[in-house]
Amino acid sequence: MHKNLTAICLGIGLLLSHSISFADTVTHLITPLNLNAEADYQLGQKDKPAILILHGFLTTNQFHTIRSTVQAFHDAGYSTLAPTLTLNINQRKQSVKCNSVHTHTLENDVTEITEWINWLEQQGHKQIVLVGHSSGSLELIAQLAQNHDPKIKLAIFTSLFYLSGPELGISQADFDYATEALKNHNNQPHKYSFLFCKNNYYATADSFLSYQTLNRQNVLNYLKALTIPNYTIMGSADKRYKSVGLNWLDELKESGTNLIVIEGANHFFSSEYEFDLQDRLIEITNHYFN
Amino acid sequence: MNTPSKFIRPIRFYFALFTGTGLILLATMFWSFYSEGNRLQQTVNQQAYEEAKKELVIAINNTLISTQNQLQKLAEWDEVHQQYHDPSYYFFWHDERLKESQYFRSYYDELELFTKDGKLLMPASPKPKIEGPHHRLPGTITSKEPKVVLRDNQEAHLNVYAPVYKRDSDEILGYVGVSLDIFPAILMHNQFFYLDKTSLKFFGNNDIPPSQLINHIKFSPVSNPVNNYLWDLMKRFIIELILTLFVIGLILPIVFKEFIQTPLTQLSEYLQRLRATPHKKQKPPKKTFFIKEFEELKNTIYQYHHNLQKTQLELDEQNLIVWEQARRDPLTNIYNRRAFDEAWNEVIINFQNEPIPTAFMLFDCDFFKALNDTYGHEVGDEVIRASATTIQQTLPMESPAYRIGGDEFAVIIQHRTLEEIQDIAQHCLNALSQYPYHTLGIKEKLPFSVGISSIASTLSDNLTALPRQADIAMYKAKQSHHSKIQVYNHVLENESSALVSNQILNRVVNSIHTGKNIQMHFQPIVASDMSDCYYEALIRINNNQELIYPDKIFAVVERRRLEVELDRQVIFTTLFLLEQRKIPKGTGVSINISGKTLLQPDLIELFAPFITWLHDYKIVIEVTENFLIDHIEYAQKVLNQLRHQGFLIALDDFGSGYSSIRYLAHMPVDIIKFDMSLIKALKSDEKTRKIILATAEMIRGVGFELVMEGIEDEEMLEQAKSAGATYVQGYLFGKPKAEFSKPCNN
Repeated sequence: MHKNLTAICLGIGLLLSHSISFADTVTHLITPLNLNAEADYQLGQKDKPAILILHGFLTTNQFHTIRSTVQAFHDAGYSTLAPTLTLNINQRKQSVKCNSVHTHTLENDVTEITEWINWLEQQGHKQIVLVGHSSGSLELIAQLAQNHDPKIKLAIFTSLFYLSGPELGISQADFDYATEALKNHNNQPHKYSFLFCKNNYYATADSFLSYQTLNRQNVLNYLKALTIPNYTIMGSADKRYKSVGLNWLDELKESGTNLIVIEGANHFFSSEYEFDLQDRLIEITNHYFN
Repeated sequence: MNTPSKFIRPIRFYFALFTGTGLILLATMFWSFYSEGNRLQQTVNQQAYEEAKKELVIAINNTLISTQNQLQKLAEWDEVHQQYHDPSYYFFWHDERLKESQYFRSYYDELELFTKDGKLLMPASPKPKIEGPHHRLPGTITSKEPKVVLRDNQEAHLNVYAPVYKRDSDEILGYVGVSLDIFPAILMHNQFFYLDKTSLKFFGNNDIPPSQLINHIKFSPVSNPVNNYLWDLMKRFIIELILTLFVIGLILPIVFKEFIQTPLTQLSEYLQRLRATPHKKQKPPKKTFFIKEFEELKNTIYQYHHNLQKTQLELDEQNLIVWEQARRDPLTNIYNRRAFDEAWNEVIINFQNEPIPTAFMLFDCDFFKALNDTYGHEVGDEVIRASATTIQQTLPMESPAYRIGGDEFAVIIQHRTLEEIQDIAQHCLNALSQYPYHTLGIKEKLPFSVGISSIASTLSDNLTALPRQADIAMYKAKQSHHSKIQVYNHVLENESSALVSNQILNRVVNSIHTGKNIQMHFQPIVASDMSDCYYEALIRINNNQELIYPDKIFAVVERRRLEVELDRQVIFTTLFLLEQRKIPKGTGVSINISGKTLLQPDLIELFAPFITWLHDYKIVIEVTENFLIDHIEYAQKVLNQLRHQGFLIALDDFGSGYSSIRYLAHMPVDIIKFDMSLIKALKSDEKTRKIILATAEMIRGVGFELVMEGIEDEEMLEQAKSAGATYVQGYLFGKPKAEFSKPCNN
């Protein structure tokens, strides 16, 4: 009886606290950054955890892998929140180009993720599952490394790699240039090579260097340090293995994460592998919450 | 339809007329063609200009709308909002990022963000890449309406602004403004079909709304290749046509002259030469013509003229033969009376112009009729033939003999003295007397008489009187046994009047010449059964309350040879009485004419006025037996012609002379009138009476009407009837008188 009353009150509270509706875009002021951020929020079954799903590098929550993932969780009865990181753009709606002025930092991203976790909690969600794709997984790992929130019950990382290292095209010269600029308080944007942005990643030194902390070893260390159940789903046909080497999977496995490799899938789990990914995600989540 | 003379012009005139008219018409047509083409081309160009203008207006609007759409999208761009959130890196974004973004167009000369107050979001870029004339956007915008900035010698710019709204709000954060080079913008956003893009020229030095931009653009439509090609084609066609016509205009006269005019001119001249000298042989033009028909025409004309000449020659020969035949006496082969009349008329005409001594000579055989009756007509013909030949051979070459009567020959001699003429006549008589007529079976001597008349070479002489004078002289010669050549003189004329008084002579001659005092008396000729009657016209001449009767009249006429004149007066007077309707209708009239009148060429015409009276009257022409026998062939011709017209011919005084019964069958007559002597002979011996009766029966048997004259009592009438007379005439039925008695029953 008490439980039922609590649930009713929570439901009413959710309805009254925010003027949101099912599958609605919500705007949330990221107070530390003084930026409004947007996210797609869909309310699922009340007894199921909320799933925070984070997009990859420079994209938005409209990226197809994210949208299909959101749809899969929603179909499975889970509440979903898919925020778009502002990247220092108020209510960002579009993907950011390599040659856009990048002033955003990893710390800003972690702050935004934390804000959205808090927002979920404010919505009454007691259990939160974090799902990230590509660099979104790295940012979630960074957030988990820096924060401990008991409502976060599970983390699932897909296409998990790292952001720094010469094998990824990050030149020492760029690194040195950015380091020197930062040292000299020269924060003028500069074109670096970063991930798929070859010599056209137009970013401030602060921004560029912030993401360099997510190197191979740090990522593995963060994984090992995780205290919540976590899974890592990789595609066997991801071309990034050519840069990082196939032993990355071994290293991931050794880090303690539950590694799942979907044979034949690429970095984005395109085409039929999208369903494989969804099946794995739902299986893992259901495993913990049913 | 006859062509008016004013339209008859040389062929060169019509060639020039038609060629000139044709060229004028063609020139007019070409000019019209050219004008229409030019107008069409201008219309097409004007249409193309209007279409180009429409395109340009649409392009300007499209460019404006497109730019506004671009700015609207740009205003929603995250990175624009990024700048409004934190413009710290505006210059880097503006100078680096913006130019590389999909929102920036190559024709944007300047793009700036403005605050909601219209001021630049950030002051001028520390490193402005676009300077000078390209810096079109103001530092502060006062109007958000689009504007075209026109400056001399600079590109035209379009300044457009769009508001940037705060996300999920109507609050304006600021404005995004762009200044673009219109020329490339228009070209990039639009496709042109009519506008020549390279022709766009902007002019002006002010700021205007885009709607007025069209008035500050110089442009031209694209050249229409089809239109231009057609126009060029048409111009080239017209020029080629004009050149062709010009060449044709130069060549045509030459060709025309060589092919048409020259042949026609030469043929025309040839025909004129032929017309001028039709009897002269003319060679055709030597030139050979190009046109086959002309060549054929030339040869045809030549051949035709050649044949014509040949035919003419043959015709001339035939005419000569005919002329000769018409003027030759078939019996003697010397000239006949027609030839004589023509020759005599010619002498008369020439005498008027050139009077020359002229003599007229008449030859006559004294007893030819008796000879004819005695030895027969064939012998008579031989005598005539031999006499003619003898006279002709004796006469001078220039003086032919003419047979003008049965045994009468005439000769016209000029340029001779009277002595020479008498010598010639004597030579002829000598030759005739020496001719061996015995070879023809003639035992008697054949004397000839010659009458001569002559005049000197003065116009005062009466040339026309010569034949009559010669006749009188010949009459005198016939009466003489020794002087057979008589030359006319006035003494002879007087001798002829010896039988009558001078007063009567003068009255008769005057009446015959003038027609005055002639009075016709009519004696009835009655059908034996009294069923019909007509009248014999008998001449009388009034002479002071007295009548001159035929015995005296004919004495004068025969002496003076006035038989023809007398007959004409009788004919005219009788005709006059007919016209006066004096002669009872249903009867008839019988007119006596002499042998000389019968020989007149106008005999038929003389009786022509009587033809209209033949319907109501019996018209009988009485001729003497002697004349008929002497001129049987000619008499048959003219009398049959009269008979065909409806006249009846009567043979008068049958039995008074040497009537030859064998001629009766060939006589061109309808009526035989027995001489009074035959009627009276019926009372003589039985033998004579039987001969007369047999003759009368024979005459009736061959279909002739038989008239018996001199019926004075009932006994004679009975004898006449019993002899078979169909008509009778005599005092029993009426004497000749001026009034008409009608003894018959009709």
